[in-house]
Amino acid sequence: MEELGSHTAFTIPLFGGIPVGESVVVSWIIMAVLMVAALLLTRSLRVQNPGKVQVALESAVEFLNGFVKTNIGSHWRPFAPYLGTVALYIALSNLIGIFGLTPPTKDINVTAALALMSMVLIYGAQFRYNGLLGGLKKFAEPMPLLLPINLMEVAIRPLALCMRLFGNILGAFIIMEMLKFVAPVIFPAVFSLYFDLFDGLIQTVVFVFLTTLFTGEGIKEEE
Amino acid sequence: MLEFHLSNILFTIVNLLVLYAFLRKFLFGRVNAVLAQRAALVEEAITSAQTQNREAEELKTQYEEKLTDARQEAAKIVADAQTRAQRAYEGKLAEAEDDAKRLRSEAEAQIASEREVMLRGARNEVASLALLAAAKVAEKAMDRADDKALVNAFLSEVGEGA
Repeated sequence: MEELGSHTAFTIPLFGGIPVGESVVVSWIIMAVLMVAALLLTRSLRVQNPGKVQVALESAVEFLNGFVKTNIGSHWRPFAPYLGTVALYIALSNLIGIFGLTPPTKDINVTAALALMSMVLIYGAQFRYNGLLGGLKKFAEPMPLLLPINLMEVAIRPLALCMRLFGNILGAFIIMEMLKFVAPVIFPAVFSLYFDLFDGLIQTVVFVFLTTLFTGEGIKEEE
Repeated sequence: MLEFHLSNILFTIVNLLVLYAFLRKFLFGRVNAVLAQRAALVEEAITSAQTQNREAEELKTQYEEKLTDARQEAAKIVADAQTRAQRAYEGKLAEAEDDAKRLRSEAEAQIASEREVMLRGARNEVASLALLAAAKVAEKAMDRADDKALVNAFLSEVGEGA
């Protein structure tokens, strides 16, 4: 059971000690990697005659833009960078187990923070683009009968997002640890392909896709 | 396993916000700027190509109009020249005919007058000869005026008979 919990990396000696989790420290590593990569990749962008790396980067950003545009509609522009950031962060978090670090998404505090951000994004957008009254009216759609369910979703959606990501990564982590214990040769490598790579990427897609979908539901204008 | 630490949640939120701000500025911002620039470039190229096409089309119609005009002008000029040439030719011809006629009549008149003069000369000569001969015959001078008139009247009768 000791292995499953999230460790505290160090404690800031302020206000009676603020614990800083291991997940936060690993997140800092991930952030550093992402920032350095972003700076390196965007160092020499050209409008004409782009290199191979730039073409790949542009395709990825265009894919993200297109995905957000189809799901959110005409107000897609401000959402794409945040959703892209979350996707990169979660994907790298889920995959970092391969390099021997503890995935930050194994810590429920991280997934809870992600889910809270998604909640703020979803309902913030709903009120930002519909106004206070229009945003409230959205809770009575598609029919007023569903009002209680829509209100419950305000809490259920982030909870589900949080628990789904946390549970999947924790489950994969537990299975991998057990496998390493039972058969330390070859088997872990094979199963790691599924549990670390495939499941990690799937959960990234699921989290980002659901956040985008819910945001779009809140602000998409009816055709 | 399920302990919540407010500090860790806050740290993660701050981490996410920092990462978001950074990536928005340096990754998505830059790439999107390049994409927008390229889109603008393509749009500009298409617009300019369309403008040029339209201009070329206009120029073509203009040239065609000009060409038709020029062709008509040329045909008119040629026709004009032909009529003028025809007129000049006819004028020259008529003039030449007139000239020829005039020359001929002049020549005829001259010939006639010369003939007249010659005839008159010849008649005078003949009259003198006749008078001379008659004088020789009559052994007297026949140089009076009435003698001369007599010979002339005779000669005229003979000339008319000849």
